[in-house]
Amino acid sequence: MTEAILSSVTTVAEKRGNGFWSLAWQRFRDDRVGLVSLVIVAAFLVVVLLSATGLVAGNWNQEVAIHDAPPDLWGLLKPAAPAVVENAMHQEQVTPTAESIEEWKNIEAMLSATVVDPLADTLQALGADHETVAVVKEKRASLPFGGDRWGRDVLSKTIKGSQTSIIVGLSAALLATLLGTVLGALAGYYGGRIDDALNWFYNVFSAIPYLLLILAVAAVLQQRGVTTVILILGLTGWSGVFRLIRAEYIKHRGREYVQAAHAFGVPNRRILFFHILPNVFHVVLVNISILAVGFIKAEVILSYLGFGVKVDEVSWGSMLNDAQGELILGRWWELVAAGGAMALLVTAFSLLTDAMRDAMDPKIQKAS
Amino acid sequence: MRLRWDGLKGRAVRRLSMKAMLLSLAWLIFSLAASTEAAPLKVLRMAFQTAETGFDPPRVSDLYSNTVNEAIFERLLTYDYLARPARLIPMTATALPEITDGGKTYTFHLRPGIRFSPDPAFGGKPRELTAADYVYSFKRALDPKLRSPWAFMLEGKIIGLDALAEAAKKSGKYDYDAEVEGLKTPDRYTLQIRLREPDYNFSYIAAHTPFSAVAREVVEKYGDDTMAHPVGTGPYVLKQWTRGARIVLEKNSEYRGRVWDFAASEDGDEELVREMQGKRLPLIDRVEISIIEEEQSAWLAFNRKELDFGGVGSFREQVFDEKKELKPEWRAQGVKLSRAIAPEVTYTFFNFRDPVVGGFSKEKRALRRAIIMAYNRDEEIDVIRKGQAILATMPIPVGVVGHDSRYQPLNAYNPALANKLLDAYGFKKGKNGFRAMPDGTPLLLKFATGTTALERQFNELWKKAMDSIGVRIEFQPGKFADFIKASQACQLQMWGAAWTADYPDGDNFMQLLYGPNTNQSNHGCYESKAFDAFYEASRKLPDSPERNRLFLEMTRQMEVDGAWALGLSRESNTLIRPWVLGYKKHPILSATWVYLDIDTEKAPTKAEAP
Repeated sequence: MTEAILSSVTTVAEKRGNGFWSLAWQRFRDDRVGLVSLVIVAAFLVVVLLSATGLVAGNWNQEVAIHDAPPDLWGLLKPAAPAVVENAMHQEQVTPTAESIEEWKNIEAMLSATVVDPLADTLQALGADHETVAVVKEKRASLPFGGDRWGRDVLSKTIKGSQTSIIVGLSAALLATLLGTVLGALAGYYGGRIDDALNWFYNVFSAIPYLLLILAVAAVLQQRGVTTVILILGLTGWSGVFRLIRAEYIKHRGREYVQAAHAFGVPNRRILFFHILPNVFHVVLVNISILAVGFIKAEVILSYLGFGVKVDEVSWGSMLNDAQGELILGRWWELVAAGGAMALLVTAFSLLTDAMRDAMDPKIQKAS
Repeated sequence: MRLRWDGLKGRAVRRLSMKAMLLSLAWLIFSLAASTEAAPLKVLRMAFQTAETGFDPPRVSDLYSNTVNEAIFERLLTYDYLARPARLIPMTATALPEITDGGKTYTFHLRPGIRFSPDPAFGGKPRELTAADYVYSFKRALDPKLRSPWAFMLEGKIIGLDALAEAAKKSGKYDYDAEVEGLKTPDRYTLQIRLREPDYNFSYIAAHTPFSAVAREVVEKYGDDTMAHPVGTGPYVLKQWTRGARIVLEKNSEYRGRVWDFAASEDGDEELVREMQGKRLPLIDRVEISIIEEEQSAWLAFNRKELDFGGVGSFREQVFDEKKELKPEWRAQGVKLSRAIAPEVTYTFFNFRDPVVGGFSKEKRALRRAIIMAYNRDEEIDVIRKGQAILATMPIPVGVVGHDSRYQPLNAYNPALANKLLDAYGFKKGKNGFRAMPDGTPLLLKFATGTTALERQFNELWKKAMDSIGVRIEFQPGKFADFIKASQACQLQMWGAAWTADYPDGDNFMQLLYGPNTNQSNHGCYESKAFDAFYEASRKLPDSPERNRLFLEMTRQMEVDGAWALGLSRESNTLIRPWVLGYKKHPILSATWVYLDIDTEKAPTKAEAP
C-alpha cells in the first residue's frame, strides 16, 4: 500500500518536473515581475562582487572633482564642464605690509631667544623656513552623478555603498535566520521546559522597541564598522524567524514521517535538521529575503544616526546622513543617488520575495 | 496706529463751513492729543535658539537666560557698545574701580538714586540700590544651597568668603549677615573688595551678568521661585513668560535712563554713531522673544518678516554672492548685514600623559607637530564651516586683549614637511603604508568624537590628513559629558574642543594650558614648566606690553611642545531688517536691544505682519 502511493507520487512529480524545487522554479518562471526583480537583484549582486574585488569604485575615496561638483549625467543634464586646476593652499587673507614683516622679524628673534625649540635644528635641516609649497591638482568640474562635499564621485560612492549595504543586509539576515531557525526548531520540537525558556527569552526581546534595542546594542559595542553592524542586526532580528519556525516544527512533530523516524530510532538531532528542516526550508528562504530587505533599511537608519559604518567606509545610510545638510542648499544629487539605489534594490528584493513565496507555497500549488 | 491721516483731513477741511471747520479743528486737536498717547509702540521681535531656564542671575548658566538677565539686572561695570576689543565702562558705579594694593583691593563708588523696579516685596516703597546689595549678591553666588555654576569665578578670590561657604557646608546655614573681611561697605554707596591674591582681571567679574545686583527682600520673599521673579534696576522688566515658548520684556518705568554716547572704533561705526548719538535709552518699548529651536524655522520666520534678526548660519548661499557680499534681492529690501568674529577658539588637544602621543621627548614632539601640520584648516573653513570662520593663529582669538595679529604660527599646514619630520625621527612606514613608533610598536591614534553629521565631516577631514602622513587613526564615539569626565581624568588621547571668552582677556584662554589647571579646564593635561613660568609671570601684570609679550611667548611655547592643533574662530553673520537702528554685534554683551532704536515709519504694522 505504502509503496503504491509512493510510486504514484513519484510519477506525478516526474511528469511535472523533478519535485518541489523544480515545480517552484516552473511557477516562478511564469511570474514576470518576479523575473525582472531577480535580474535587478542579480545585477546588484554582480556590482557588489565587482566592487568587493576592487574592479569598480575602488577609488571612491579619491577627491577627483571640485567640492560639490554638480551632476551632468554624461552630458545629458548639461555639458560636462572642463577640468579645473585647484590649489589646495589658500592665499594669505591679508597681505602683510613691509612694516609688519619687519616687526614680526623682531618678535620672532625675541621668541627664539626666550622659547627653546628642541626640533629647531632638525626643521632647519629639512628646509622649513615657513615657506609653504603649493599643492596643485587637476580636478573635474562636474561628474556624471555629481560629487560630494569633498569632491568624491557620488556614483562610485553609491556603488561602494551598495557593497556595504548588501553585504550587511545578507550577512545579518543569514545570522538572524540561523539563530531563529535553530532556536525555533528546538522550541517547537522539544516543547516543554525548553519551549517555555526560549519563549520567555523571545518575549523579552520583542518587548523592547526594535530601534531602541539596536541603538542600545550599538552603544554597548562602541567599536564601529561593518562587522559590528552585522552583529547588531543579526543578534536583534531573529525573533520573527523564531516564531514562524517554532510553529512549523510544532505542526510537523506530530506528522507520520516524524513518528516513523522515531520508531526507527533516528536520533533527535537528525530528525530536527535532516527530516523536518527540508520540509520547512521554504519558510526559511522566504524569511532570509524578508529580513535582508529589513536589514538593508536598518543599516541605513543606523548609519544615518551615526552608529553605523566607520569614517573610511561608505554606505547608503552614511550618504543620506552626509546629504541631509546639503539639500537645503540645492545639492540634491547625493540624496537622490543613495535614496534611488536603495529604493530600487529594496523594491526589487521585496517583489522577489513575494514571487518566491508564491512559487514555494504548497497551498497555491493545490489551487492551480 | 501711525499718523497717516493728517493729509487727508487737511484736504477735507477746506471744503467745509467755518462752524464745521471749528468743530473739525477741535476734533483734530483732540485726536492729536489722543494720538500722542497712542504713539506707535516700538516692538522688537527676535528668536532664541534654545529655551531659557529662568531669570535668577547666579543660578543660570545658559546664554539665553543670561541675555534676558543682562537687560533686567545691572552690574557695577559693563562694556562699551562700540569699542573693540571690548572695553569696560561703569554701569551702576560712577567710574572704573580704584585698584590699589598691587591689584588686591578694588574700590567701587555707586551712583546714588538708582531704584529697583517696583515689586510687592518692597511693600509699596521705592527701593534704592546700595553697596550692600552687591555684597549680598556676591555672597549669594557662593551659597552652597544655590549651587551656582559661576561660583568658580569667585572661589579662592575674596578674603573670608570661602570660609563663610565652608562654615555653611558644616552648619547647613549660610550666614548672609556675617561680616566678610573682603567685602566691605565703608558707606552706603562705596564697595570695597579685597582679594587674597593680586588679580587684574577682577573688574571683568564685576561686569559679568551672574554677579548683578539682586534685592535681598525679593530673594527671601520668593524663595525657590526666584527664577520667575526677576526684580532689578535695569532698563527692562519681565512682562510675560510662557516657559520654553515666549518671553516679553517691557521698559522699566523706574529706570533712570542713559544717553547713547559711544565713539566709533571700527570702519562703518560712523553711520551708527550718527544714527544713535545722544538718544535717551532705552528706546524700544517692548521686546518679544520666541523660542524657535529649528534653524530652518527661524530662517523662514525672518523671511516672512516675523523676526527682526536672521542668523545666516547654514543659509550662506541664499544670502551671499561669490564676493561674500549681500545678494541684490536682500539689498533691495534694505536688509543690513552685521558680521563679527566670535571671541572663541577651537582646538584639538593631545593628552600629555598618553603613552602614544604624550610626553616631551623629541620624538613625541615631532609626532604631535607633524599631526598638527597635516590637518588642513582652510578646507575645514571652506567645506565644513561654509566659509564662515577665520583661522586661529594664537590661543587668544581676535578681539580679545592679548591677541597679536602679527603672530605667525610655527606649525602651519605643510603635509610635506610633516612627512619629512616623521621620517627624520624614525616613524618608519610599514608594508601597509602606515607608520610605526620609532621602537617598532604600532602607532594608532584614538580620536574622541560624537555621532552627528557635523562630527562625521570632521572625522573625514582628520582621516584624510592622517592618511596623508601615513598615521593610523580611529574614531571613538561617545557622549560629550563622558568625554569631559574622561579628559579631566587625563584619559582621552585626542579630542576637539572650543572655548568662548567669559571675559575679553587673554588670561581666560591661556589658563586652558596652565599645568595646575589639569583635571579642570586643562583637558590635555599639558604641564610644561616653561609655559607655567610665563603664565605665572603674566598673572602678576595688568594689561601692558610686557604681558602681551608673555602671551606671545606662551603661544610659541605651546607650539614648540605641540600641545594644541589650533582651529578657528567662527564668524557670526546676522541679517537685520531695515527698521532696526544701531545694531552691532558685541563680543560679550548679548542683550543689545538696550542700545537699539526702531524706525516706526519703516516697521511693518500689525496688519502687515501676520
